[in-house]
Amino acid sequence: MAEFSPGLEGVVAAETAVSEVDGANGRLIYRGGYLIEDLVPVATYEEVAHLLWHGELPTEKELDALRRQMAAARKLNPSARGTLAAMDSQTDPMDVLRTVVSAQGAAKALTKPTLEEAIALTAIFPTIVGATWRRRQGGDVVEPRDDLGHAANLLWMMEGKEPDPERVRWVDTYLVLLADHGLNASTFAARVVASTGSDLTSCVVGAIAALKGPAHGGATFAARSMLDKIGSADNAEKWLTDAHTRHERFSGFGHRVYRTYDPRAKILREMAKNAAPELYKTAARTEEVALQILHEAHPERPNATNVDFWASVVLTGAGIPKELFTTLFATSRVSGWTAHVLESLSDLRIIRPASRWIGPQPGKKPVQLAKR
Amino acid sequence: MTTAYVPGLEGIVASQTAISMVDGANGRLVYQGYVIADLAEEMSFEEVAFLLWKGRLPSGAELEGLSLELAGHRTLTQGANIALDALPVDTDPMDVLRSVVSVQGVEHKLAKPTIPLAIHATASFPTILAMFYRRQLGLEPIQPRRELGHAANYLYMLNGKESSPEVVRALNTYLVLLADHGMNASTFAARVIASTESDLISSLVGAIGALKGPAHGGAPAAVIEQLELIGTADKAEQWMRDARKRKVKFMGFGHRIYRVYDPRAKILKEMCRRMNPKFYDLATRVEEVALQILHEEHPERPQSTNVEFYSAGVLQAIGLPREFFTPTFAVSRVAGWSAHVIEQAANNRIIRPQSEYIGPEPRKPVPLAQRG
Repeated sequence: MAEFSPGLEGVVAAETAVSEVDGANGRLIYRGGYLIEDLVPVATYEEVAHLLWHGELPTEKELDALRRQMAAARKLNPSARGTLAAMDSQTDPMDVLRTVVSAQGAAKALTKPTLEEAIALTAIFPTIVGATWRRRQGGDVVEPRDDLGHAANLLWMMEGKEPDPERVRWVDTYLVLLADHGLNASTFAARVVASTGSDLTSCVVGAIAALKGPAHGGATFAARSMLDKIGSADNAEKWLTDAHTRHERFSGFGHRVYRTYDPRAKILREMAKNAAPELYKTAARTEEVALQILHEAHPERPNATNVDFWASVVLTGAGIPKELFTTLFATSRVSGWTAHVLESLSDLRIIRPASRWIGPQPGKKPVQLAKR
Repeated sequence: MTTAYVPGLEGIVASQTAISMVDGANGRLVYQGYVIADLAEEMSFEEVAFLLWKGRLPSGAELEGLSLELAGHRTLTQGANIALDALPVDTDPMDVLRSVVSVQGVEHKLAKPTIPLAIHATASFPTILAMFYRRQLGLEPIQPRRELGHAANYLYMLNGKESSPEVVRALNTYLVLLADHGMNASTFAARVIASTESDLISSLVGAIGALKGPAHGGAPAAVIEQLELIGTADKAEQWMRDARKRKVKFMGFGHRIYRVYDPRAKILKEMCRRMNPKFYDLATRVEEVALQILHEEHPERPQSTNVEFYSAGVLQAIGLPREFFTPTFAVSRVAGWSAHVIEQAANNRIIRPQSEYIGPEPRKPVPLAQRG
């Protein structure tokens, strides 16, 4: 039996063509062999979703068909509406998403995951996120618009007014950047669920559940919360030095895979200059000081600003409230999750690892209740 | 350092655990040091749940405390009741469980997994299923009874009357036998989710999604269906040899880990003999023929009747409808899932394996207008 590698670090758990994180060279490659920095200027989120599902960027005709299909799948069904209404308005948005996706996908009989389901699931996320925000604010839920793209419709359902094109572009780019990332924990959770022959909704619900954790999708919220506490560029050095003395972790730094600057963080950092100029100043100074402190503490470790750090700045600039950050991450990653599940179907084998026993020697005899 | 890809992570140690051990070579299942055969017909489900959560059997006072705590959390939240009513009556009960557990567990702020939360979740599963079952039949819901044990109360809420001590005992033994089983796929899914520091309910919802798959918990109903197709013991050999020519899979056979007879199947088989003689007569003949045929095909493989085969006969004797076989598996396994989640959280490292990229080498994307 193999050695125990905590967190399965370095253990290959799947073969995939959906994406590749080349940590040594700081490259993120999406299906088809495209580098993330090459896709951002030429492809919208819908095009990237098509790419992850099919392995090719769509033609104009294919893109048009996909956009229509997604626009037609934006409405909640009665189960999902009823379940949404069952939760109080201040419920954690990730719990709302987990629950409403589960209800929307509740079915009579087990079905094998299909591309049509993947498209419908991806289309429904902005509707749930938009409704969650409206309810949180005490407003009426805004119905989706079928003439808007994925990112624009999300902002429309949150705000009930036509969004500014620049903000749409920032959100869209964020969605492109986060759509897949190798065998991260939520994608792996989706593949574990899929491996039993379960349905696509169950896989996606499991992935949402995993993304919720602060060590995964919750990190963008944590990064923004840290920036809020720091408050200004001038305060960064003092705040970070104090935090380091108290052995606090810096949110937005550290990644298991990248050994150079995360290519997504690089793109978001550049966007942040326009999207959120004030917060950018605080963030840039925070990054500088944090990397310096981290380098002094661990000179052997690589540079480590992660995607969450700069995503928190760009999303803030795009007008996304920080309570919704993790749900935005999910709104992007659902295309990757579903692409991985569909890919895994071609050679489905149950993921059932081994465990190492660290309990008492087997065979002790139980004592009767009365004698305990 | 990266290890080679092992499909399904077979033989790869993904966790250290003191909760249960599957000793496949010797056909032993061990809970916290106790061999399952010593627990199965001696202990209540409540005692075993305590054992899995705390690592030791409870004293009389502790057992009473746990029973009260479970009984006190059998009612659903208002939200869960509303969500339950929002789902169509013909929904797959596993989808109902996944969705309503999700609603029952919604929170405003992320909470760490704890034993009290595990108790509350465990208490809610039978209620969710019984309420839905009654609704399917157009019957009034039955309120839980505090003075009944876990198994007795589940049956009471399903049927609206108390079951015989023999039936209660049989369900209790089933719940004890299925409560944990090493690093099976649903437990592993729960641990992957917990490893991101997500909450207990998120882990449980993911585990339910994984258990639903036919390669995991979804098979016992299929055992009954296959036995019905076979019809009678004297037709077994003919039917099964014909079926094999059509590549039909024998339901209830095969397991990755056991190399000798599954100790749970042995106990359940004996229970079938006592409680469900009609099933027993047919099933034992089908088992004999199946093992003979499987041996002829693969003489190198070990005997392999799995737990689902005789589970089906026991659950049928208890009077559960077959759509509730897999959900009742969840009623039991939630004890193990939550114990694993608490263990994972206590000594956590994010479970983030590697993938091997099998896509094309990096290339440049073509802008939309030039894609033809």
